[in-house]
Formats: sequence, C-alpha cells, structure tokens
Amino acid sequence: MNPSVSPANSNAGETRTLPVIFSGKKGEYLKIWLVNMLLSILTLGIYSAWAKVRNTQYLYGHTQIEGHRLQFLATPLQILRGRIMAVIVFGLYVIISSLHPIANLVLMLLLLVALPWLLIQGLRFTLRMTAYRNVRFSFDANYGGVLLHFIVLPALGALTFGLAMPWVIQRLQKYIHDSVSFGGHNFTLNSSAGYYYKAILVCIGLAILYFIGLGIFGSGVITAISAGNPAALGGMVIIIASYFIFGYVVAAVYQSMIRNHVMNNLSIDGVASFNSSVEVKPYIWLMLSNSLLLIFTLGLAYPVTQIRKNAFLAEATLVNLQPAADHLVNTVDDKYSAFGEEAAGLFDADLSLT
Amino acid sequence: MATDSLPIAGTFQMAGRAEAHPAVARINDNGSVQIIAANDQRPLHYSNAQDMRYGDIIPGLPAELIFADGARFIPNDASYRWPGLSTAQRLPAWLEAHWLTVLAAVILVPGFVWLMVYKVIPSAAGASVQYLPEFVATELGEQTLDLLDRLYMEPTQVSRAQQEKITDEWHSILQRLTLPQEKYRLYFRASSIGANALALPDGSVILTDDIVELMQDHPEQLNAVLLHEIGHVEHKHSLKMLAQATATTMMFAMMFGDIDGAGEMILGVGSSLLQSAFSRDMEREADAFAYTQLHKIGHSPLDFANAMRALMTSHGVSEEHLHNHSNEGDEQNDGERARDVMEYLSSHPDTLERIQAAEEWQPEAQ
Repeated sequence: MNPSVSPANSNAGETRTLPVIFSGKKGEYLKIWLVNMLLSILTLGIYSAWAKVRNTQYLYGHTQIEGHRLQFLATPLQILRGRIMAVIVFGLYVIISSLHPIANLVLMLLLLVALPWLLIQGLRFTLRMTAYRNVRFSFDANYGGVLLHFIVLPALGALTFGLAMPWVIQRLQKYIHDSVSFGGHNFTLNSSAGYYYKAILVCIGLAILYFIGLGIFGSGVITAISAGNPAALGGMVIIIASYFIFGYVVAAVYQSMIRNHVMNNLSIDGVASFNSSVEVKPYIWLMLSNSLLLIFTLGLAYPVTQIRKNAFLAEATLVNLQPAADHLVNTVDDKYSAFGEEAAGLFDADLSLT
Repeated sequence: MATDSLPIAGTFQMAGRAEAHPAVARINDNGSVQIIAANDQRPLHYSNAQDMRYGDIIPGLPAELIFADGARFIPNDASYRWPGLSTAQRLPAWLEAHWLTVLAAVILVPGFVWLMVYKVIPSAAGASVQYLPEFVATELGEQTLDLLDRLYMEPTQVSRAQQEKITDEWHSILQRLTLPQEKYRLYFRASSIGANALALPDGSVILTDDIVELMQDHPEQLNAVLLHEIGHVEHKHSLKMLAQATATTMMFAMMFGDIDGAGEMILGVGSSLLQSAFSRDMEREADAFAYTQLHKIGHSPLDFANAMRALMTSHGVSEEHLHNHSNEGDEQNDGERARDVMEYLSSHPDTLERIQAAEEWQPEAQ
C-alpha cells in the first residue's frame, strides 16, 4: 500500500512531478465519524476534541505524496483547552448580545476588531499543526495586512458597485497564500486579477443565458397557470429545481476556474509548485450530488461528502517537488493555542446558524 | 542481544527534517527498538521502550512509532500493530471499525439530537427562566421598547379620552383576575405594521392605533387580544425562546463545529424551522391563557375568535375566504394544502385553526 520511499540523497538535481494520492474510504470514514460523534455526545462534548483529531488524522493520513503522508500534529488536550475557552467566550457573547440590544452593537464592533486576529490565529494553528515529512507549515500574516485585505478593501470594493470586487478577491487570496510558509520557504502566488474578471464574466454570461431561458419558460408557465392548466404545477417544480441547480453550476464554474488558476500559479520558493486540472462538469456533479446527499440524510452523510471531495481534488492535483524538498528543516515549534482556531469556527458557525 | 521477532519494514522519518530513509525496525526482548537502514544495514536509531510512544491507531493507516526527539518509524504495512500497544490505545479504532457501535451511533446520534432539541433544551429553558432575576426582563423590555420606538413606531393619534377608557377597562379586568396592574402597562403607538398588539418581556403591551380603531366598537375583542399578549408574558415566552435558541445554537456548533458551506446552510434552515415550531406552540399556549382568563371574568373565548376574524379581515383576507372555510366537510382544496405546508414555515398557527379552537374551547377541558 505504501510505495517505497526513495533515499534522500538519490535522484538529486531533478524536479519530480508527483500525483497526490487520496486513499480514504467512504464507509470507513463514515464509521469513524459516526462513532466519534456518538462518543462526543455520550461524554457531553468532551470527546469532541479527540474526535476532531482522529477525523483530521484520517483525512490527512490518507493523503500521500511520494509515499509520505500528511500529518496532523495537534493533540486532543490542546484542542479541548481552546474549545472550552472559545465556548465560554461565545456563550457570553450570545447571552450579552441578546439580553442587551445596545450592548449588542458594542459587541459587534468588538467582534469586527477581533475578527482579523481570530482569522490569523485560526489559520496559523491549522497550518502549524499540519506537517509533511516532519516539517510543519506556518502562517505569518499580520493584523494590519488582514484588516486591509478582509475589511478595508472589500468595503472600498463595495463603493465601486462591485466593479473592483474581482480585484479585491484576487488581492485577498494572494495575501493569504503569500503568508504561508513551509520549512522556512515562503509560498508565492502569482495570480492575475484579469483571470478573476474572466471567471466573473463567465458566471455573468451563464446567468444571462439562464435568465433568458427562465423568462421564456416562465412566461409559458404563467400562461398555463392563468388557463388553469394542471401542467403549470410541474412547470413551477422545474423552475425551482433549475434555480437550485443553476446556483451550483455557477459556484462550480467559478470555483473550478479559480482553483486551477491559484494552484497553477502557486509555488513554494525553491521547493515545489503545483498543477491543478479541475474539470467543470464533474465538479458541478460533485457539488450537486454532495448537497443532495446532505439534504436527504439530514447532514449524516457529511463524512461521505468530505471523502468524495478530497478524492476528487487530489485526483486533479499534481505536485512538482524540487530536490531541496528532501533537505528541509522544520522551523516551527509545537506550542500554540487552539483558542483562535476554535473561536473562529464557533463565531462562523453562529453567523450561519442565526 | 537476542532479536527473536521478525523485522518490520517501513520508513524512518528523521526528527524535525524532511530526510527519510527506507528502514526496518527490530524489537528486542527488553522492548527497545532498533532502526536499521534498508539498503546498507547502517544503524539509524536506537530507543529504549520508555523513550518512545505509539501514534494514534486510525483505521486504514499505519501505526507509527514516535521517538522522544520526534523522529518516527512508519511501517509499510498499514495493518501492522505493534505488540506493545495497550488495549486502551486500540479501543477507539476497534469501536470505529465495528458495525455494532456504528449502528448504535446511527440510532443514538439522531435520537440524541431529537431528545435535546424537543425535550431537554425546552424543559431546561422553561425551568431556568423562572430563576432569571426580574431586572433581566425589565431591562430587555425597556430596551426593546426603545428600539421599536426608534425604528417602527410613531406617537399615537388616539385621543386621550379613548386611551383612558381602554386603560380603565383593562385595569378593572386585571383587578378581577388579580394580575398586577403596574406590570401590564399599555402603550399606544402609531405604526406601519397595521392592526397589532405586542407584549414585551417586562409586561409592557403595545397597541397600534390601527387595532384601537379596528376594535373601538368591540372593547371585549381588544381585551381578548390583550389577554393573549400577556399570556406570553405570564409564560415568559420571549425569555424561554432566547434561552432555547442560544442552547440549540451552541449544541449544533459543538456537534457540527467543522461543517462548512452547504452543511451550515442546511443546519441553519433546520434550526429556524424549529424555532417557528416552538413559536407556534407558544402562540397556542397564549391563546389558551386568554380563553381561561376570559372564562374567569364571565366572558367567552368567542371574543377572541371574533377578534381574530377582525384582525384577519384588516390584514387583507377576504370575508369570502373566511366564509368558505367554515363549511367543513368540503374536500381539501389546493389552497388549504398549501396552507398546511406554510404552517411549517410560519411563526403563528393558521388563524382559521385558532378561530376554530376558540369556538370549540370548553372550560372542562382545561
């Protein structure tokens, strides 16, 4: 199952192009996820820290490049500590903000101020706990940079009626990627804003086509309704279903274009570069079928959708490793609090739940 | 040094660096481990039993041996398990691989969510709001009134004489029911929300000018509506809802903390549907409170039914529609079926159903 690992000192001087192999199995991971969920519930949430570590270890460990598996190095106690602190802070936030409509405004401002910090802490924790061949990743964004790219630029972009938004998103993603490093080597993303505009224009084009079609079909349905034709009901169902599917088509087109562009222009200085070839049609099907799976199992198929997505993306990705990759030295220690990561997760969860 | 056991083939991953070597691990009798390079038999690492630990056992993944300095030995065979592994270390993977525990999880996980959401959290919320200090409700009420005044309300156009008339009658009803007059204060406001009345957690009741005008010839209807509104306050509904929503959100956040995108959206829709379900139950509870109190003062729940009819008409439902519905025994038409669906989405029960419930209410049933 594990291809033999080549010694470090052989094949020096050559760049190797390698597939990303994902070997996670749907049934196996579904079982792990369900049992961990059960144990988390039975222990009133305490085991959830262990569950998170085990689930992530499964997904990481089944992701291999050149016979080496990705490593998730966080310990359950580290996560539990962060999670307890985050739950306390989040609970206080919810209680105070709902009891005090005016204090709520103050808290929202505070949250806005804390947001860049939470984001940095969250990504930094995740990346520092991720390692390949015992070398950890890291994330070194600063507060001012995140504030500029996540709050100031989008606000300015909104002032241009969205015209500058593709550029803002390109700057933002470039900033995030450029802040990542691996074994002391920085990531560099040479993306172009023009490509983001292209992706958006393609989506707008699709939307125009869709709404023209909808207009023609919809007027037919309206005629059928006014004529009392029972076929109108079927027409309505088709319209609603097509709207649902249209949302996934546009999202899949945009995401696949941007993912390919970002990965193809991403490199780790002197260590690696990437190739991505996500195809639109299978990606649309993946997203659509995953969301149907979630809806019809009331969320219980979540682990299955994760495996499907990871397998699909791994299949579409190649890594070009340079010889320096064999001689990297870890530059990151393992002491880091999980509070920011857990808090970021909770506050995000809250925003979408209410 | 005797080395009885077979050598284990794998990879030796050096500590804190990317360098890795194909290697074999030999376990000695005393539990110590020796790592030897696969190609040239060069010794790479030696460790006593107490200076190493085992990585987590995850189904489908090799069991790693982790040395004190962070170096690792990763067996090639993903199913290989070290003899030194304790039962406790094997337990999670054992549970995760057995369909019996998985089956238990499939039944118990949704069962737990149902139990928490429908039973435990509502009753815990109901019990805990009784112990909330009074100032919480007062504060919440005052601030909400303040906010409403800024956003939705205008000063009333109702004459002082009429305000006094309504207030006096309301006070006499409160007196007969031995309910505190100073708590259930009436506020008159003009508002674009139309004919409506709302109670705040501290007992303040807001009447819009439209409802005063709508029911000026039927004070008994207005009183029925007011009794319904303070039913919410007596049952501490808004506080209960708040506690329940907070606890439910927290629980889902804990359970599905790392779900993203579509999953979150689906959970979000689910939890707002749940909230409307609880809100409908609360409306029914407040309705029942109004019927009982009306009965106590010698009035009839029919007052409430009439008030609901008047409100419905004022909000644009035609008389014809009301009339049609009262002919029971008609086959259910599409409109009604649509209403059944709509009920799941709505925060209030179907008005016609409420009118019918008021008309059929019997004091013995309580």
